[in-house]
Amino acid sequence: MTAGVAGGAPISHAEPVMGTVVSFVVHPGDLGAAAAAAAVARACQILHEADAIFSTYRPDSPVSRLRRGEAALAELPSDVAAVLELCEHAKEVSAGWFDPWAMPGGVDPTGLVKGWAAERALAELVGAGVLAAMVNAAGDLVVHGQPPGQSAWRIGIRHPWRGDALACIIEADAAVATSGSYERGAHLIDPKIGQPRTRAASATVTGPSLALADALATALAVAGPRGIELVVALAGYDAYVIDMDGGEHTSAGIRVASALPVPDEA
Amino acid sequence: MRRSPFVVAGTAAGLGAVLGLHIGAPATLMPVSGARATADRQAHGAATANGSAPPAGSSGSSSAAPAPASASGGSAVPLVALPRTAVGASQQYGYGVLSVRVTVRGTQIQSVAVERLQTADQYSQQLAAQVIPMLRSQVLSAQSAHINGISGASYTSQAYAFSVQSALDKLHVA
Repeated sequence: MTAGVAGGAPISHAEPVMGTVVSFVVHPGDLGAAAAAAAVARACQILHEADAIFSTYRPDSPVSRLRRGEAALAELPSDVAAVLELCEHAKEVSAGWFDPWAMPGGVDPTGLVKGWAAERALAELVGAGVLAAMVNAAGDLVVHGQPPGQSAWRIGIRHPWRGDALACIIEADAAVATSGSYERGAHLIDPKIGQPRTRAASATVTGPSLALADALATALAVAGPRGIELVVALAGYDAYVIDMDGGEHTSAGIRVASALPVPDEA
Repeated sequence: MRRSPFVVAGTAAGLGAVLGLHIGAPATLMPVSGARATADRQAHGAATANGSAPPAGSSGSSSAAPAPASASGGSAVPLVALPRTAVGASQQYGYGVLSVRVTVRGTQIQSVAVERLQTADQYSQQLAAQVIPMLRSQVLSAQSAHINGISGASYTSQAYAFSVQSALDKLHVA
């Protein structure tokens, strides 16, 4: 176990925001618990600000106004243009398998915003000087540092069908995003045909940026295993895809941890 | 749109075998363990304000089994810890409302069961029935597997973890 590690117990926090819950695990280290908790509060504020700007469920949000054609991009907060630029990039590198402009109802950056916001929340914690932290935006997560007593964050990838298992455990040092047909059912839209269609049961993408990993995971859930080659072409990014038949497809850079259960660290 | 509450009864046979979680373990994931941040309380309260249905009678209550352990004054671990149970606050998730019932002995989780699962329509019920048993085991097996986080389906898992944490708070063990 990790008892007795300097820095004390981690701070855990769960924040309802963006239509879901974003959870934090923070190891304050030398920063101390009080300052770390204050940083978590600021990180949550960042999430709420992102929600206010990008929510497609709030009719008065800047993005909702943009979707209805009521406002020009230049009139909106600069974050909107910044996120759409990231969306454009994600669309390019995913060969169009991720395409916010092909969604019903107008441009919808939702598939990238959650990751983008969580990434910014983590940056707030890192800037404050925490030893290690994880921000988990309901299954899409990004980590910093190493949990005390561990060489890396161990992230379980949910098994898409079996009730009693994780599909695998991977070691992460940055972003991990997973999308799948079990998650939102038929609601994942194939941008190539404008209709619901998925070709993977579960698609996980790891890499430096959670915004991009989030978008690419969505892309691979639609594209299926063939999308892996698009991901590995990007420096630092890897993919783990479970196809509709249960077959597993992993790029070389995914670090699969030892099978569960594992013994306690002494 | 049909709103028919249904309950996933009990815990799976043999589930007890994987219940090895020590709640005080520091290197665990999810809000299940060690949540002390003050905003958690606030969040739990807010999450019960859902518009889809009135909470079931037991939801959000701490109608635990009689807990002689509390006779110790709460500051000392009793020599013989009896099982205690609490129901976590109902949590709204993408497809409906969820709450769980947690039983602990001392600081060990003995079982986690879905107390209430109310979904908005037929489709969601099918989805939830598929997802929930998986989640139930993950709260437990995830701990024994020494993982720090889970990447996967968006909605239900967090509502589940949230309700578990809420129940543990009521039992004063996390």
